[in-house]
This record gives sequence, C-alpha cells and structure tokens, in this order.
Amino acid sequence: MVYGLAKNPPDAATFELGRQLFYDARLSSDGTVSCGSCHQVSAAFAHAGQRLSSGVAGRRATRNAPALQNLRWRHSFMADGGVLGLELQTLAPLTSPAEMNTPLAEALAKLNADPAYRRRFAAIYGPGPIDTPQFLRALAQFTAALTSANSRYDKYVRHEVGGVLTAPELRGRALFTAKCSGCHATDLFSDDSFRNNGLDRTFGRDSGRAHITSRAADRGRFRVPSLRNVARTAPYMHDGRFATLPQVLAHYAHGVQPSPTLDPLLRQPDGRLGIPLSRQQQADLVAFLRTLTDTEFLTNPRLAPPRAEPAHPAPLATRN
Amino acid sequence: MKNRPASLFLAMLLTASAALLSGCKHDADSQPPTGSVAFELKNMVGQQALALDGTAYTTADGETFTVSTFEYYVSNIKLTKSDGTTYAAPNEYHLINTAKPGSSNFTVSNVPAGDYTGVSFVVGVDSTATKGDPLALPGDLNPANNMYWAWNTGHIFLKLEGTVTSTSPNKAFTCHIGGYRQPLSAIVTATPSLNGATLPVRAGQSPKLAVAADVLKIFDGPTKFTVSGLPTTMMPSAASVQVATNYAAGMFSVTQVQPNSK
Ligand code: HEC
Ligand code: HEC
Repeated sequence: MVYGLAKNPPDAATFELGRQLFYDARLSSDGTVSCGSCHQVSAAFAHAGQRLSSGVAGRRATRNAPALQNLRWRHSFMADGGVLGLELQTLAPLTSPAEMNTPLAEALAKLNADPAYRRRFAAIYGPGPIDTPQFLRALAQFTAALTSANSRYDKYVRHEVGGVLTAPELRGRALFTAKCSGCHATDLFSDDSFRNNGLDRTFGRDSGRAHITSRAADRGRFRVPSLRNVARTAPYMHDGRFATLPQVLAHYAHGVQPSPTLDPLLRQPDGRLGIPLSRQQQADLVAFLRTLTDTEFLTNPRLAPPRAEPAHPAPLATRN
Repeated sequence: MKNRPASLFLAMLLTASAALLSGCKHDADSQPPTGSVAFELKNMVGQQALALDGTAYTTADGETFTVSTFEYYVSNIKLTKSDGTTYAAPNEYHLINTAKPGSSNFTVSNVPAGDYTGVSFVVGVDSTATKGDPLALPGDLNPANNMYWAWNTGHIFLKLEGTVTSTSPNKAFTCHIGGYRQPLSAIVTATPSLNGATLPVRAGQSPKLAVAADVLKIFDGPTKFTVSGLPTTMMPSAASVQVATNYAAGMFSVTQVQPNSK
C-alpha cells in the first residue's frame, strides 16, 4: 500500500517528532540501537561499510541495510517485499530480536512514561495515551520526507546550474539506458519489481521474494533497488557481498550465475549470461553512477540527529 | 488540516441525506427485530481446563507437555437458520488469550431474530482485514497485541507455546500459525455442530453458546503430530497449513446452548 499521505499530512511538528523517534536509542531493549544506528544520513540512510548491521547485544540483522529515500512512492518494503506499508515498516526492526528487540506494546509504554513525548504527541494528536497509529504515523513522517532529487544528474536532466556531465559520464549514461534501465527504470532507478540478477545458483540461505510468497518461481528474486546515492551506500546487494561499484559491474559483466529464475534480461541471445561490458564501459558506468550522489540530501542538517538528544541517553524509565 | 472544514461539511451532508433516505423508506417500528448471541470459549486440554501455570498434560501417546501461551483469533462469525439462510456478522474480530480470562467471552449483537441451528467462524483473520490499513486496525486486531508478523505483514492466527516434559532434556515448542497467501493460506473455518440444539434469537433475548477449544486436537486431526515432533512454525509453511486444517476440523465443540443468558 502506498504511503497514506492524505491521512498523515506533513507538518513541521510531526516531522520533528518523527525525527526524534528515528534517532532515539531508548526504543531498543538495551537502549543502544536506534533506527539511525543502521540508517545514516551521510550514507543516504544505508549503513556505511557494514555488510550486515548489528542490533542489540551485537546480534546481526540478516540482510544489508538499504538506503532510505523516496519511499513515499513505494508499495512494499524490504528486499523481499514482505512489509506492506511505510508506517508498518517500523514494526519489523523495532520488534526483531536481532535489531531493536522491543515489542510494540513495550515501545508504547516507554513513550507514554516520558512526559516530553506525551506533551509532543498530545500537541499533535490531542490528549490521551500515545497509541499505535500515532507512533507509527509520526515516525513515518520522517521516513516519508527522505527525498533525494538534487544530484548532479538531476540538475543535468533539469538543465540547471551545475548540471554538467563529463564525456565518460555521458557515455555511462547511454550505456545505463541501454543495459540497466530494464530493471533500474525511471528516475527512481527501480521498477519496484523483484528480479533474480544472478548472484547465486541456489538460494538456500535467503530465498528472497519466495520467503514471502512460498512460490518456486520467486526463489532468488530480490527487489530492484534504487541506485540514487549508490556511490555512498556500499556494500552492495541484499547481503552486502560486494564492497565496491567496480565489483558490481564485474558481476554483471562476467559473474552472473545460472538458475531457473534468472532474469531473461541477463541471458544473451547467444546463450551467454550477464551483460557484455568492456573494462572501459564498466568504468564509464561507474562514472555515471557517481553522478547520482545528492550531496544536499546527504548533508541536510534537518535529517541528522536532533541536537537536543544527548549522546548516551539514560534509559527512559529512569529519566526525569 | 486545511481541508477539515470541507470534509466535516461533506460528512454532515452525507449523514443528513442518509437520514432522509431511511426516513422515507420505513419508520423505526418496521425495522426487523434483532437480538444478540453470547459466546464463551473454554480452552481445554482433553477434559481438563487449560492452565498456564506449569500443569503438565498428557497426550493419547503418553507424551507430557506444559503450555505457556495459547492465543487465537475468532472472526467472521456466521449463523445459519434451519431454512439455510445465513447471517454473517460484520466486523467481529476476537482475540482469545488464555492469559486474559475476560477475552474468552464476547457478544455478537444486531443478529436478526430467528431460530439458528448452525454456527461457523474463521479461526484467524480474513485477508482483507489483515491487509487493511494497519493504522485503522482497532482493538483486538491492533499489532500491539503481538499477534502480528512485522516482516511479513499480517496477523498470526494462532499461537501455541510450551514445553514437552516427557523428553530428556525437555523440549520447548513454538507454533505460530498465519499466512493468507495461496498456496499456504492458513485461513480456516470451524463449523462446530450445535448437536441439534437451536439458538432462539429474539429482541431482548440473548442465547449463549459455550464452545470448548481442545489443544490436543491441534496435534490430532487429519495429520497426526507428536508434541515433540511438531515442527517449529514461525512462518507460512506446508506444516502450518496442516496444523490449521487440524484445528479447523476438531478443536472446537459446542458444550452448551443456553436459550437466554440475560
Ligand atoms: C539493526 C539495524 C537496523 C535498525 C536498528 C533499523 N533498520 Fe531499517 N533496515 C535494516 C535492514 C537490514 C533492512 C533491510 C531488510 C530486508 O530487506 O529484509 C532495513 C529496511 C528498512 C526499510 C525498508 C527499505 C526498503 O527499501 O524497503 C525502512 C523504511 C527502514 N528499514 C526503516 C527503519 C526504521 C524506521 C527503523 C527504526 C524503527 C529502522 N529501520 C531500524 C536495518 C535496520
Ligand atoms: C534483470 C534486472 C537487472 C538488471 C538488468 C540490472 N540490475 Fe542491478 N540489480 C538488480 C537487482 C534485483 C538488484 C538487487 C539484488 C540484491 O539485492 O541482492 C540489483 C542491484 C544492483 C546494485 C546494488 C545496489 C545496492 O544498493 O545494493 C547496483 C549498483 C546495480 N544493481 C547496478 C546495475 C547496473 C549498473 C546495471 C547495468 C549494467 C544493472 N544493475 C542491471 C537487477 C538488475
């Protein structure tokens, strides 16, 4: 279900409340992990350098933390599409024992025990205890506001000042349109579908979309991710297996593995697998991908942790 | 916020026209009379009442086990008259939680008067409700009740957790049943027989149905499981569909029909 903008009209106070919640580690069972621990603004809200992020007590999430941007237009979330709304997405990391490990009822109790949160919620939603919809809507105002649309590429497309692409970048763009945009489509750089891009021959450890649908035809299919800010969101793929963009390009050029669900776009008419790309073409593609970095977004102080929040907050119960 | 006055105005218009319409058609007296039906679920293990206090229960195969959690949804209640016509009660979603005795009793109201000879209900939540706007999920459907899969949006229909005590060492078991997508949909309907009795629904009269829910039938139905061999089910699977088929087939039985509980 697409984000319920109409039911959650953006306003400054709710956005700030959502931001506070996003960066509040007290929502985790041991007070050490916030949404912002695994989703960092300077990495387009991916987890810089972490193959698999760790949650409470050093436990590891099972997948690589993706960038969070332009989520308002999405129908489902996670690499397997298991979560059906942006508001609901909060529940998965919040309640997962490997991430924040806090049942929803406990999170609500913590918020309700904090006079500052009570005041801020009441100012927006009226008097009464903080409840499920209030909590999830407030947090979603922050995640829904994460919009990236001011990269050098965007300025080039809109003919704006600073929108200049070099010759290699322009060659990369043409290659991208020809070879990649079948999946990484539109200016969101994803068609929001689930595809098998040939990472493995079998998918015992993570079956991807089939984890949700239980269909054999969905084994090994993962969400086509957006490539905005991709130069900042390493490591890559659902399990973070590639550390660099050249490694990703090398995968498409000569690393694609056969399996029954491999996407037809990665089978050449002559039977070869992958996308034929010379070293120069790979370099040009990487150059193009780097133009998708949106520095304004990555350095926006309004998206960074709120300043009032102390670095190591006391557990909620003992505050005040 | 800006469009609030407009939508308020629209709402008023709609209510006004609804009142007008119904006013034209019939007055209050000609509404068909309605009554209510009270339900009482009794969670059992065989003939014993289920307790979560560490009491050990024995299966027909001689395994012993204790139960720490037993919760399930009852929804989409349908009542059938002797002439075969059916009344489907809208918006009935009840979470029966053994740890909360009050949750075992609920009343279905606005049932058209008549003599009902059959009852059925979904053990779980229909796919429309489970896929609906989660922020609009009221009461028993609220994800805060912990009967919800966050990673695979949807409700958990039934939870049974406990420990097998006849194995050495003892073995904890976790059985969470859910999933609404084919081919692994676990949405099942139970149709316990009224054993020839009739539920006489009248205005001002509330018949009551006492229904036993026998945990042993989760293991013992079309598919036989031992408690120790019950697969850990935390996601939709072939086993979870078998377990759901078991409890739909035999877990519920009507133990008493009271013509009037008021
Ligand atoms: C322990 C690290 C961790 C924490 C803490 C965490 N996340 Fe995530 N997040 C992830 C991972 C890993 C994924 C990808 C999971 C998958 O695809 O299965 C993810 C996915 C998401 C997505 C979906 C992105 C997409 O493209 O589908 C959103 C939205 C999100 N997280 C928001 C949040 C919010 C809000 C919080 C705080 C309530 C949070 N995350 C806390 C690691 C984390
Ligand atoms: C058949 C569809 C398809 C085609 C064609 C395709 N991709 Fe992908 N791409 C995917 C999928 C699916 C993933 C995610 C796989 C995963 O998460 O395991 C992905 C992931 C990526 C990633 C990693 C993003 C991240 O944040 O982890 C990059 C970079 C990428 N693709 C670049 C490209 C480039 C460049 C091309 C063209 C040379 C290309 N892709 C062609 C489907 C495709």
